Amino acid sequence: MIDTARGIVWLSRARLVRGAIAAAAASFALATGVAAPERRYTIAFANATEEPGVSVEGTGFTGAEIRQSFVLAARTLPIDLVFYDNHGDDARAIANAEAAIARKVDLYVQYHLGSTGNAAVAQRLKAAGIPMLAVNEAVPGTPLYTLDNAAAGRIAGEALAQFAGRTWAGQPTVAVVIGRVSTNTERVQGVAEALRKRLRNLRVAMLETQGNPAQVAPLLGPLLAAQPTSKLLIAATDDATALAAKAAVEAAGRARDVAIVGHGVDRSIHGGANDHKELDPTNRASIVLGSVAFYLDRMGYQVLPLALRMLHGEAVPARTATPHKLITPANVFAEYPPYDMN
Amino acid sequence: MLRAALIFAFAVIALSSSPIAFAQSDCKSVVKPSPFGPDDQTGATNRVTPAVTKAAAAEIQTGKVTNMTYPLVDGVPLFGSRFTKTILTATSLAPGASFGENQLTYMEDTWLSQSHVGTHLDGMGHIGIKDCYYNQTPMGKFINQNNMTKLGLEHLKSFATRGVIIDMVKVFQDAGKLKSNAACKKPCLDKGTVITVADLQAGLKIYNVTLREADMVMIHTGWGDLFEQFPAQNALYNSGEPGLGKEAANWLAAQKVVAVGTDTWAVEVIPSENPKEAFPVHAILLTNNGIHIMENVRTDLIAAEAASTKRATFFVNMTVPKAVGLTGNFVAIDAIQ
Repeated sequence: MIDTARGIVWLSRARLVRGAIAAAAASFALATGVAAPERRYTIAFANATEEPGVSVEGTGFTGAEIRQSFVLAARTLPIDLVFYDNHGDDARAIANAEAAIARKVDLYVQYHLGSTGNAAVAQRLKAAGIPMLAVNEAVPGTPLYTLDNAAAGRIAGEALAQFAGRTWAGQPTVAVVIGRVSTNTERVQGVAEALRKRLRNLRVAMLETQGNPAQVAPLLGPLLAAQPTSKLLIAATDDATALAAKAAVEAAGRARDVAIVGHGVDRSIHGGANDHKELDPTNRASIVLGSVAFYLDRMGYQVLPLALRMLHGEAVPARTATPHKLITPANVFAEYPPYDMN
Repeated sequence: MLRAALIFAFAVIALSSSPIAFAQSDCKSVVKPSPFGPDDQTGATNRVTPAVTKAAAAEIQTGKVTNMTYPLVDGVPLFGSRFTKTILTATSLAPGASFGENQLTYMEDTWLSQSHVGTHLDGMGHIGIKDCYYNQTPMGKFINQNNMTKLGLEHLKSFATRGVIIDMVKVFQDAGKLKSNAACKKPCLDKGTVITVADLQAGLKIYNVTLREADMVMIHTGWGDLFEQFPAQNALYNSGEPGLGKEAANWLAAQKVVAVGTDTWAVEVIPSENPKEAFPVHAILLTNNGIHIMENVRTDLIAAEAASTKRATFFVNMTVPKAVGLTGNFVAIDAIQ
């Protein structure tokens, strides 16, 4: 393995031999005019958890949706997939890696939140000469594909601050971050940083729901009551919380005083042309301005091309981040084309 | 005051002189020109010449007719608020309501329906890129509240041509790669399965068929089994489908076929190969190549017929109403062999 300033190139002995064979085959094809069949690779994806109903990364997405994104992305790539479920457990993660080594996979995509387990997995794969690509938690010496929670939070904060500047300039305004606040610190800090950059002296309150949308109204209600003449900017750490916040604000009769931005863009907040969910081109007057896309349902489309580049011996960045983006009623169908029409 | 009134009047005149105030795209840079000339509104049925029809007629050898149409009735898979509903609007069966000494009675009905329901054909005006439709038509100039004033079904020519059934279930079975959906009572390709050029070629090879210009290509995926189970499997049927990938669609376009139909609701693979693209195969076939798409086609019977007779070609018996300004319509199709 060679570390460079720009990226990491995996060149184990086995890969060097494979590369030499591929080069020889290419030369033969050029000389004879006969195209060699495209080499297929076996890539293992060890998912963080696929426990039904368990959401990941403080969003509304599940492990099953992430797995499905790999299945869909692999359709047009020379890749055969092998799936494992780490179940959020170090021992399970290590056992999965050992099973993949025994199966002689070409590359291992490790999505596990646990540094001890990740280090053990990396050590075993390195010994077996199998390259590894880490997801959402950095592992030393391994390329990383990751969410950028701080960037996502800044996008949300910027959207709220811009709205306040356009619509409520000079009026008393407060902000609140609500949801899984304590476990999404980078996301929350990103929101606060962007809000304060544009709206100096803005008070930013934190309301912890521990991921329970039913807690939103009891927490938000008193805040709304205590601020009868203020405008309120709400950054929700996930979409279910954003929708619960909207309901609470409407129940309090304060819809004209509030703007909300969520995080995730899961299926609870957007859907097809006939679903008419919150983020919909026909719903541009919503107090939910938008949500920051995390694309966990498209992770496979981002990760598998990176994995292929590694297998082809190309340099890949040490860290590749999700290109987070604010999704609004104006761009939701461009970004997530509906397919419930024909 | 007078000045304001004049400005308002000019604005009204300006708006009323252009049917729709769309921002016009340069359609010559968005959509391919038609191979049938700059004024063409017909599309690929231009290819169905008398010689094509005469050659297709040679497919009729036994006279056996095979149905390729699903029943159109309330309850079949539809999206959202789409509907197809019939109302018996006139009847003289009531006592004393018959006419004349000969006691003549009659019945009529009203059919309230959207056009893209059941077994149906997509016309040239169905799909565009931005405001640009088939033959670089800036469609914003050619619509009113009721219909299109260009590219309507009334411009279509005959579909009296040769049909070819490609049995994709058999292709995938033979290749040992069929992953059927558990809800299908008969084998089917699962949703999200991409049909490639190699798959199409393998399907043609099974019955030694070479595509000819103006052929109508029908692809059996087995997914229509869920349509047949309506309404029980409507949600699953609509949730995705196996179908053509972009490469396969471009290959079919290069074969200069007249139409492509499947036993699915959109002909193309859903979810798409690229999740950020919407119905790219529709745009390839209809918008850029003038090739009709036919959806919810019953293909299982003709696929079974091909398997038993080793003949995958047939004469197409299908007509489309001269429905002025419509983007598509339900049709009935028979395969005659």
